[in-house]
Amino acid sequence: MLALTGIKVHYGAQQVLYGVDVTVGRGELLAVLGANGCGKSTLLRAAAGLQPMTAGEVLVGGEPAGRLDIAVIFQHIHLVRRRSVLDNVCAGALGRLPLHKSLVPALFPAEVKEEAMACLDRVGLADRAHDKAGSLSGGQQQRVAVARALCQRPKVLLADEPVSALDPAASEQVLALLAELAHDEDMAVLAVLHQPALASRHADRVVGMRDGQVALDGAPDQPVDHLYSPINPLSVETVS
Amino acid sequence: MTVLQQEVRKLTVPPKPRQPKRKIISLVITAVVVAAHVFAWNTTGMSVTAFAEGWQGMVDFIGEAFPPNLSWEVLKPSLEGARTTLWIGLLGTTLSVPASLVLALLATRGMAPGYVYQSARSVLSFLRAVPEIVFALVFVTAVGLGPFPGVLALVCHNVGVMGKLWAESIEDVDPGPATALRSAGAGRIQVASHALLPMVTPQMTGLLMYRFDVNVRSSLVLGLVGAGGIGFLINQSIRTFKFDEMLTHIIVVLVLIIAVDRLSALVRARLS
Repeated sequence: MLALTGIKVHYGAQQVLYGVDVTVGRGELLAVLGANGCGKSTLLRAAAGLQPMTAGEVLVGGEPAGRLDIAVIFQHIHLVRRRSVLDNVCAGALGRLPLHKSLVPALFPAEVKEEAMACLDRVGLADRAHDKAGSLSGGQQQRVAVARALCQRPKVLLADEPVSALDPAASEQVLALLAELAHDEDMAVLAVLHQPALASRHADRVVGMRDGQVALDGAPDQPVDHLYSPINPLSVETVS
Repeated sequence: MTVLQQEVRKLTVPPKPRQPKRKIISLVITAVVVAAHVFAWNTTGMSVTAFAEGWQGMVDFIGEAFPPNLSWEVLKPSLEGARTTLWIGLLGTTLSVPASLVLALLATRGMAPGYVYQSARSVLSFLRAVPEIVFALVFVTAVGLGPFPGVLALVCHNVGVMGKLWAESIEDVDPGPATALRSAGAGRIQVASHALLPMVTPQMTGLLMYRFDVNVRSSLVLGLVGAGGIGFLINQSIRTFKFDEMLTHIIVVLVLIIAVDRLSALVRARLS
């Protein structure tokens, strides 16, 4: 479903991604692991169109990704805390609504609100629709962010460290929800994670990154310690 | 041996690294600031002796104003003038909101193309640079004496000030929700109305209340140049040497300003 091919990214003169190839199948939750600075979040931002690429392609279903094909869930959640949960979820539909039907929340068509309610129900928060987003716990806010992403009707879901700010129980819930969405809704879900244990429990496949390149790609229960070790085994192999 | 009785380990504080360049810059800045003050003192004709010699005249002037004339014949027009001043300040604030909002959004970095951003910033700078009193004189010649030119003058100047303050508030807001909506395909206006403005509404309302407070005081000054309100009455009583009436008007103004200031502070405190 999602194919990232030959992705290269530079920050000024510094190259951070060296032609990365990653695919995520329909109905699959792929976890991307790696140490800080290895380029995994840059890869996700490039896939989402939030980071200009030097080279490479982002394909969804074999075609160049459309504006609304990919939805993103952010580490810092990024809800408008003063607005209601429902208004925040409806905002996921902004990309397909004309301005006269979306200038203020009161103008959102009834069908968009009903769809947003269904998305909220999907993440188990339909009863909190009229609460202020800021009044929810961190885990609940992240689930609202997932509902907002669903309201975009995407084919691919990208999650950038979605559980970094959450406690272990909320992290399990959010990861389980992402896995459910991948399996039940037949979506391709790519989640950048810092917790190999969570990845092994919930992901269908794991990609490990190191120094801007893919260092492993396979089953979620394989050892990943070398991704976080200070000496790069790839470099050692090359030298030896 | 208790913890307090144990010998406390000490370490010599290392000397601060020498920064001769920074010291020279500080000296130069201090010298420039002092020189500017000396120059300003001479240019504005500041004189302690002139002030001491003229002290008696000021005391006489204030003496003639006491006691204030609190008769209903003076108090009634004074209260009506204060009411007009309040309405000028109110309309001068609220009527400037639409233009301030549009210009603030256009003058927010990243919201509009570069040339639009620069143009909006220039318009705001111009409106802010021209004082209300100059706008009032222009509008008095256009539409005649009275509160109307006062309102127009306040609107023009207030758009400049409020547009800039609002633009800076919007720029300071957490960019996260805006990024999230942009990634969901929202356009610039949708991002502004669904992410930026809801987040910055408390700050904007607080600034609006502060400007209302300032505008009521400004509308008093505008009355002096014929824009109506209690300022006009103060001007008239000075011209006709009725200083006791002038003091009555000033007392009414004082009450009005304190009331508006309290209201503004109350609203801002609730918002924060």
